[in-house]
Amino acid sequence: MSKQEHHETESTTEPPTQTGAEAAIEALDAAGVEMIFGVQGGAIMPVYDALFHSDIRHITMAHEQGAAHAADAYGVVRNGPGVCMATSGPGATNLVTGIADANMDSDALVALTGQVPADMVGSDAFQETDTMGVTTPLTKHNYFAHGADEVGAMVGEAVALSTQGRFGPTLIDLPKNATVESTTAETPPPTPPATTIPQRRAPEAAVATAAETIGAADRPLLLLGGGVIKAAATDIARTFARTYEIPVVTTMPGIGSFPEDDPLALSWAGMHGTGYANMAITHTDCLIAVGTRFDDRLTGGIETFAPEATVVHIEIDPAEVSKNIHADIPLIGDAAEVLTQLDRAMTGAPPVDEWREQVQTWKQEYPMDYVQGPDGPLKPQYIVEQLDAATSDRAIVTTGVGQHQMWAAQYWTFTEPRTWVSSHGLGTMGYGVPAAIGARLAADDDQEVICIDGDGSFLMTMQELSVAVREQLDITIAILNNEYIGMVRQWQDAFFDGRRMASEYSWMPEFDALAEALGAKGLRVDTHEEVDEAIAAALAYDGPAVIDFHIDPFENVYPMVPSGGANGRFALTPDQL
Amino acid sequence: MTPEIPKEGLAGPAPAERPHPSGRRDARGVRRDADRAVEDSPQRTILSALVEDEPGVLARIAGLFSRRQFNIDSLTVGPTTVQGHSRITLVVEEPRGQIAQIERQLAKLKPVISVGELDDDAVRTEVVLMKVRGQSPADVQAVVAMFDGQTIDAGSASITVQISGDEQTIDDAIDAFDQFGIIEIARTGYTALARGMQPTVPGEKPGTANEPTVPPR
Repeated sequence: MSKQEHHETESTTEPPTQTGAEAAIEALDAAGVEMIFGVQGGAIMPVYDALFHSDIRHITMAHEQGAAHAADAYGVVRNGPGVCMATSGPGATNLVTGIADANMDSDALVALTGQVPADMVGSDAFQETDTMGVTTPLTKHNYFAHGADEVGAMVGEAVALSTQGRFGPTLIDLPKNATVESTTAETPPPTPPATTIPQRRAPEAAVATAAETIGAADRPLLLLGGGVIKAAATDIARTFARTYEIPVVTTMPGIGSFPEDDPLALSWAGMHGTGYANMAITHTDCLIAVGTRFDDRLTGGIETFAPEATVVHIEIDPAEVSKNIHADIPLIGDAAEVLTQLDRAMTGAPPVDEWREQVQTWKQEYPMDYVQGPDGPLKPQYIVEQLDAATSDRAIVTTGVGQHQMWAAQYWTFTEPRTWVSSHGLGTMGYGVPAAIGARLAADDDQEVICIDGDGSFLMTMQELSVAVREQLDITIAILNNEYIGMVRQWQDAFFDGRRMASEYSWMPEFDALAEALGAKGLRVDTHEEVDEAIAAALAYDGPAVIDFHIDPFENVYPMVPSGGANGRFALTPDQL
Repeated sequence: MTPEIPKEGLAGPAPAERPHPSGRRDARGVRRDADRAVEDSPQRTILSALVEDEPGVLARIAGLFSRRQFNIDSLTVGPTTVQGHSRITLVVEEPRGQIAQIERQLAKLKPVISVGELDDDAVRTEVVLMKVRGQSPADVQAVVAMFDGQTIDAGSASITVQISGDEQTIDDAIDAFDQFGIIEIARTGYTALARGMQPTVPGEKPGTANEPTVPPR
């Protein structure tokens, strides 16, 4: 309202003026940004001041890393940009882990950072850091606003670029002069740079070749990556798989692209993926990979990855084609568009009933299972299954990184896209709690938000719980507490003759009491009989609740493909490693 | 019927009891089939990139090469006929598959408009400045003439000459001037253009068209 008046009074005589900071907010508004996660500080104060009269909601986080992760998760759940903001120097460097995380997982994160005035840049001024230098290798592109005239266009472009083609992080470094000074420059509509417009449709000839190859395959397999979810291609991917009865594996970021309770679903492949997914990917002779960059945790050793497969690679980013795994038939374009093209070019389901039966046999042969003994220690897998059972199909799971993350991914049955929110490529411990905050604020009211965390991961960002209390966010944090950096302990036992150097905590906080001190509900569970009641209490509590599950400290994650090993040789027990 | 779960770990046939395919991939992820084994040894290649001349563009390219471990032999940069556009010429030595990867990674950078790989017949030249000892000016002059070069500074103690040509010519010239005693050398690395009317990078507009090149679709 006040903005309207401001314009009317001045527009009659001369072009309207506003500060660079106001232009930044105007550009975010124009791009549809509704929420910013951030932390105040000297050099960014003018932008915060411009937010004072804006409708954009700001969530003050405890630490800038939390702001970046929360914005990242918000973006993942909304399938759009998530925006974070921090001051110069330590504010900006604290964002860096979150930016790197977004970069590895192709998440549309937009960061606004304050900077010392442009004429002081290079003088080692107070809270000066070369934010451009630090973030160049971690962003799709980053921008330095030299003056107020540039700010509006830059911010709009940065937001638009984050979701252009393959999603990724962008950053705008805003020196104080550029946000304080006035400008008459009009803020253009958010437009991605002309040099970044991707090819959306694959050449028809290549599509025809791909369709022919799939039709003639004996052992076709679909591999759905995170790109399928980012491209909103889950519907067409599901239709495609079901129409041609092709079994489906996903990558970890691709979890939710295909319902894991579907008969064609083999869950996810890779280091801790299911035995049947790894058998299928090892034996396929035609791998239709969509929106994936063939990370080493997926492929294991390159030599033995889908070693007999003709690879059809549908991918929006040409630089990911034949980077790690050679694409015999590259189909560069948008996943939804290219799958539609491919669907039109297919002549029918490949007659491969033997393969379909083989895949079902593997599902029987390599079950994902565990034993929760009546008096035995509490099994983490049991907790994950009980949480899944107690929540709706659209419940969102966030995690940290480590054993708990793997159990969550293995034992929760995901059926919907954007319900699995995790740190994959960078493997950032501490992602879970701030991600739950971002996810809660992005999700629909009827979607439960569950953070399945480890004790080590929780310790890294638990201060963000204070934000969840302050903002009255209904989230449930389930700590699978084994008083170890569990995945490291597992590796030490397997590969370092059991020398548990720096993986064992000789003292752990009482997380239930800590949660209460932070203003949340705190619960503790030691036996399996207490699990359901605690989950029910936490879910019923209107606000953040933390359940400290004291689990079997020596439970390990299986199956496991040792680093660089062959997917088909996954170990099911420790002696097979 | 579910097989029995072991005390630690999962049920199922052990690795040795499973079928394993005999196929393999090479280090670049290419399936090793007898009928398509290809030699992929490193080769020197000249790349040309048309870029938006914005601050930090060179740092972005240098950083890309460093973090992706691409070998770069030389890099030259200079303005073009279009204000705000620069041409960067890069000499790289990598296997074919890696060169394609370099081109795609370069093209992904926001300021990069278009990237091209130059053919073997492309026109290319390098400049070397050499400061040699000044004791035998007439002999130096004779060698300068042999290489179609220029003397650009001369004093009693030193003579500075300029030679241009392809890499072999420059190497030969350095050998030839070595007899006088070379004090200092500065080489530019290749700059290059496609031969004839062929555009140097895909979609490149001729300067005479008076319009900037736009990214190829």
